[in-house]
Amino acid sequence: MSPITTGQKTESGRQYWRSLEQLHQSPSFDRWVEREFPLNATQLDEPSRRTLLKLMAASFGLAGAVACRRPVENILPFSRGVEDLIPGKSVYYASGFSLDGVTDGVLIETHDGRPTKVEGNREHPTGTGAATVFEQASVLQVYDPDRAKSVLRNRAPSTWEEFETFVTAHLEQAGDGSGIRFLSDPISSPSLNLVRSHVLERFPGARWTEYAPLVGDQVSAAARLVFNREVQPVYDLSAADRVLSLDADFLGLDWLGKTATRDFGRRRRPATGTDTINRLYVAESRFSVTGAMADHRLRVTPAEIEGIAVALAGEFGLFTPEARSAVLEDPYRRRWLSATARDLASHRGRSLILAGSRQPAEVQALAYWLNEFLGNVGETVSFAEVSPLVDSPQDLSLTDLASEMAAGRVTTLVMVNGNPAFDTPADLGFSDLLADIPTTIRFGIEEDETAALSEWVLPASHYLEAWGDGRATNGTVTLQQPMIQPLYDTRSTAEFVALVGNYPESGGYDIVRNYWLEEWGASGDERRWRRALHDGAIPETAYPEFDATIDVTAIREALEQRQSSGAVDGIEVSFYPDAAMYDGRFANNGWLQETPDPMSKLTWDNAALLSPVTAKTLAVENNDVIQIEVGGRSVEIPVLIQPGHADKAISLSLGYGRTSVGSVGRHVGQDVYPLRTTEAFWHCSGATVRKTTKRHPLACTQDHHSMEGRPVARELSVGESLSASHESEVHHAPLYQRTNSDDGYQWGMSIDLSSCIGCNACMVACQAENNIPIVGKAEVANGREMHWIRLDRYYVGDENEPQAVTQPVACQHCENAPCETVCPVAATVHSDEGLNDMVYNRCVGTRYCANNCPYKVRRFNYLDYHGDFAETEKMAFNPNVTVRMRGVMEKCTYCVQRIQEAKITASSESRDVQDGEIQSACQQTCPTEAIVFGNIADPNSEVARLRSEPRNYSVLEELNTKPRTTYLAKVRNPNPELSVDG
Amino acid sequence: MTQIFQPSTDRWLRFFFLAFVLIAVGTIAVAVPGMQSAMTGVGYQPTQPVPFSHKLHAGELAMDCTYCHNTVDRADYAAIPTTETCLNCHARVVPNSPLLVDVFESYGSRVPIEWIRVHRLPDYTYFSHQAHVTVGVSCVSCHGRVDQMEEVRQVEPLNMAWCLDCHRHPEAELRPSEFVTDLAWQPDNDPVELGRQLRAMNDINPPENCSACHR
Repeated sequence: MSPITTGQKTESGRQYWRSLEQLHQSPSFDRWVEREFPLNATQLDEPSRRTLLKLMAASFGLAGAVACRRPVENILPFSRGVEDLIPGKSVYYASGFSLDGVTDGVLIETHDGRPTKVEGNREHPTGTGAATVFEQASVLQVYDPDRAKSVLRNRAPSTWEEFETFVTAHLEQAGDGSGIRFLSDPISSPSLNLVRSHVLERFPGARWTEYAPLVGDQVSAAARLVFNREVQPVYDLSAADRVLSLDADFLGLDWLGKTATRDFGRRRRPATGTDTINRLYVAESRFSVTGAMADHRLRVTPAEIEGIAVALAGEFGLFTPEARSAVLEDPYRRRWLSATARDLASHRGRSLILAGSRQPAEVQALAYWLNEFLGNVGETVSFAEVSPLVDSPQDLSLTDLASEMAAGRVTTLVMVNGNPAFDTPADLGFSDLLADIPTTIRFGIEEDETAALSEWVLPASHYLEAWGDGRATNGTVTLQQPMIQPLYDTRSTAEFVALVGNYPESGGYDIVRNYWLEEWGASGDERRWRRALHDGAIPETAYPEFDATIDVTAIREALEQRQSSGAVDGIEVSFYPDAAMYDGRFANNGWLQETPDPMSKLTWDNAALLSPVTAKTLAVENNDVIQIEVGGRSVEIPVLIQPGHADKAISLSLGYGRTSVGSVGRHVGQDVYPLRTTEAFWHCSGATVRKTTKRHPLACTQDHHSMEGRPVARELSVGESLSASHESEVHHAPLYQRTNSDDGYQWGMSIDLSSCIGCNACMVACQAENNIPIVGKAEVANGREMHWIRLDRYYVGDENEPQAVTQPVACQHCENAPCETVCPVAATVHSDEGLNDMVYNRCVGTRYCANNCPYKVRRFNYLDYHGDFAETEKMAFNPNVTVRMRGVMEKCTYCVQRIQEAKITASSESRDVQDGEIQSACQQTCPTEAIVFGNIADPNSEVARLRSEPRNYSVLEELNTKPRTTYLAKVRNPNPELSVDG
Repeated sequence: MTQIFQPSTDRWLRFFFLAFVLIAVGTIAVAVPGMQSAMTGVGYQPTQPVPFSHKLHAGELAMDCTYCHNTVDRADYAAIPTTETCLNCHARVVPNSPLLVDVFESYGSRVPIEWIRVHRLPDYTYFSHQAHVTVGVSCVSCHGRVDQMEEVRQVEPLNMAWCLDCHRHPEAELRPSEFVTDLAWQPDNDPVELGRQLRAMNDINPPENCSACHR
C-alpha cells in the first residue's frame, strides 16, 4: 500500500478517506496529492504568445503613463450632512430576509450607504447572530448586473408609466375580474396581505394561487389530519437527549430555524460530562449533513421511510400492518430499529422523532403519534397555531389554475415573483399554457424563463432596496427596511400589487408603516414603530401555542387506508432542494455556484447521486452521463457516486440547468424539473436508467488540498480520550527557535468538530467579508478555488456505510510557520500578536509559501479575478480589506480588519479588548457556535478555556508548527447495542 | 580579410564605459534628492476649488481643528466637512463674499464641492486618525503647521519609513490629549521625557506589524 494514498486512521483504527478515488488508491488521487501545484496550474487559460506580448506591451505602456505625475484625487464630502453617518464607519440596520414566505431577522452592515454584508440579528426572537448561506450570499444579488432593470413589453423597452396606463385601462374592462388570476410565491407579509385582499375585494371573480416548488403541502396536510387546524410543530432540540430523524435533514435543507440549530449544536458538545451529549439516529437516502452528524445512520430510500416509521410504531406495539414489513427483510435494519426503539423508549419525554417535510402527511402524522406515545409532546415538541393568512374562496391551487388556463378561462395572468415557467411540475405544461393567455404580466427580480414568455416584464426591487414585512419561523413579524435606494427603476412587491389593485397607498414605506400603525391602534405611535424598526421585529407576534390533543384514531385510519408502498419497484428517484441553488433562484449568484455541496463537494453543477453498489449495477462511473426516464419523461445528467447513498435510488438536486438567466448561471448543470410531476413531487419509483456514451466532467473539490493521509480530523466516542497519535511526537526540530511573546494579545482560534455541521455558512461569510473572488468551473477543476476557509469532509469506514466528519480548515497561524521561512521577499511574516501576516504589496508570486504549507491553506491569484467587475459589483466589496490583484498569494487573516478595529476602539476608550469583542466572520455566522476566536494569553478567555480541554489537539502536531488554530476532537455517542462495525 | 575591430576600438570602449558610469552616477546623485520629494509628494500644494484659508480659520480665528474635521477621534477618516458646516458660520459671516459663491452653490444644488486630496496614502494602507489622535499624537506631527498655511501643502513624506520611525520611537510626538489640536503647543521641558512618561502611563505600544496598516 502506498503510504500517500492511505487515508488516515481513527483512534480506533478505522480508515478516513475523502473520496472513492482515495479509498481505492486511484492514480488520479495520487496526482492531486503528489504535485506541488495541480497540473496545468501555471498555464494561462488559452496560452497564446501573441496575447501575452500584447498584454505586456500594454502594461509597460500604462506603467509609464501613470508614473508621469501624481494623479489628482478628489474628496467629495456631502453637501448636507447625513445623520449618524461617519465616513468610513460601518452602520448596521436590522432587516428581514424572506425565503418562501419565511422572513428571518438579519442585520445588514452598510458602508457609506452601501450594504456589504449580512449578519444574523441577535435581538430577533428567532435570531442567534448567525446568518445562513443564502442570507450571506444575498448581498451579491442586489448588485448583480444581470438583474431585471427596466420595464419590457413584448421584449421592447417600456416604462412604469406606460404599464400603469395599460393596467388601469385593462382592469377597468375586466368587470368582476373572473378572467384574472394571480400566481405568487408564498406570502407571509401582513401588509402585503392587506393589499392583496384589497385587490381581491375589488375583483371578486379573481383567484390567487400561491406556489413554491420547495414547499410541499404535506406538513399542513398532516396538521389538518391530526388537529383539523393549521398547526405547525415546534421542536425543542435543547431538551432532546435522543433524536430520530426520518428523512428530515433538519440541519440542512429542512432547516428548523437558527435557534433550533444552535440548540442542537450545544447538545453535541460534551462540555461538562458525558451525559449532556445527545444521540442522533438518522434514516435517510441521500447522505445529508444531518446524516453526517448521526451517531447511527440507516440507508433507506425515501419510499421505505414509511415502512421504517410503521415498523417503529410496531416496535412500540402501536400499529402493525403486515404488508409493510418488506423493508425489514434486512437483519441489520431489524437490529437497528429495535435498538433505536428501546433507546427512545428509555428516554420518555426526552426523545424526539422528526419526519422530513418531503414525506407524506401520514408519515408526519405518525411521527406526531410516536412523539405523543413517548411522552414528548409538551416536552421536546409542541405545536403552534399558524394564523392562516388566506382563508378565502378566492384561493386556487396550482393544479386548478393550470386546468383553468388549459380551458381558456384565464384572460389575464399576473405572476408575482417565483419562476413558474421553470419550476412548476412538468405534467402541467405551464410554459405551453402561458403562451395562450392573452395578457401575461410578470413581476420579478430576474429576467428569467417566465419573463421570457410574458408580455409585460416588470422589474422587482431586491429586499435590500425595499420596504416590507413577513413572518419568521415562529411567526414573529420581521420588518424589512431598505439599505439603499433602488439601483434601477424597480418596485417592491407590495408597491406592485398596490399599483395593479389601485390601492390607496402607493409607497412601500406607507403601506408597511400605516398597516402597523392601524393594527396597533391607540397604542401605536411613531416611537413604537421606530423601536420595531430598530429591533427588526415586532414583539409578541409569534404564533400562539396550540394545546395539542393528537387524534390517534384519525392517524390510524389514514395509515390503514394507505396502499402498501413498502417495496421499491425499480430505481427510485427523489428530488431535493439544492444546498446552493435552492430552487434555482440563486443560479446567477457566483458565491453560491462556487460553494461546494456540503457532502458531495460538487461545484458549478448538479449530478445524479447514487450509491457505489447501484453504480456497479448500472455499470456507470463518475462523470458518465445517464438518461433517467420516468413515465415517458427523461433527463440526461452526469453521475456522481455518493458513498453512503441508499441503494436502488437516485437523488437529483433541483435548481440547475437554468436557460434564461444572467451570465453566471446560464446552462450550469442539468434541469431535472422535467422529471417532476404533481404526483411524483418529491420522489417516484420505477425509473429506468440508461447509460449514454457522453461524459460530463464535474468540478468536485473533494480531493483538492488533501494532506497526504495524515491524521487531520480526529474523533472519539463518548468516554474515550485522545490518545497520543503515534506520530504526535515532534520530529521536525525548527531551524531557529522563534521567541513567542506572551505579552499583549495573542490571538487564537478553537474549532469544535463535535458541533460543526458542515453547512458552508463560514465559507460564504468569509467570502463576503474578505472580498474573495470566484474563479469559475474550469478554474475550480484546476484546483484554483480561492476560498480562505474550506470545509473538508472525510468519510470514515466502509464505502457503503460510511460515517462522515466535516472540518473547516483555514490558515492555522502557526507560531513556527513554515511559509514564513521560505518567502524570499518577506511578504509573509509573523506579528507579535501571533498572526501570520500576508503583505500583498510585497508578494511577488513565487508560491514557495503555498508549497511549504502543510495545511494547504494558501490561495494564489493565478488570474485577475477582480479584473472585469461591473461598477455595481464593486459596491459589494468590504472597503476595509484590500482587493487583491493577479499574482499575489492570499489566505485567512483571522479577519485582521476586525481585530484592528476593535483594538483601535479599545485603545481610544483606554481599555483592553474584551473577550468576545472580536468575532471573525466565520465565527459570527457559525450556526452552532463551533468556532471561537480570542486572546489565548488571557487565561479567562473562552478560547483559552477550550484549548485546555482534553479534546483539544493541533493538526499535524508532529511538524512542530504550533498552530494557533486548534481543534476539539469530534465526539460521537454511539449506542452500545449497535456496535459501529455492525 | 580586413579586421572588424581597430586597435583604437579598445580605447573607445574604455572611454565609453567610463563615461557611462560617470553619467549614471552623476544622474543619480543629482536626481535622487529631487525625486524623493516628487515621489513622496512633500511640497504638494494643489489649488483648491474654494480658496479656503487654514491660516485665517485655524490660525487667526483659532478655530479648533475638530470643529470641521469632526470625526477625527471617532473614525479612520478625519472627514472633510460638509458644505453645511461652512454655512453654520457663513450664513451670517460675510455671506456675500464672492469667494463663497461656490459654497452657496453647492449647498443649494446639493452637489459636493470637489476638494483636492493633499495627503494621500496608497490604497493598501489603512490609516486610522482615531487611533493616533486619541493617544496623543497631534495633527501637527503629520500635517505640519496648517494654522500657518494659506493653502494646505504636504510637509511630511508619509512613506513607510517615516511612519515606522515614529512607531519605533513615538516619544517625541506624544502629548497630553487635550493639546492634540493645539498646533503651536510646546511642552515646558524636554518633549521626549514627557513623551516617555505619557507612553508609560497610557501603555502606548505602536504596532510594527505589517497587518497593523496592511490588510
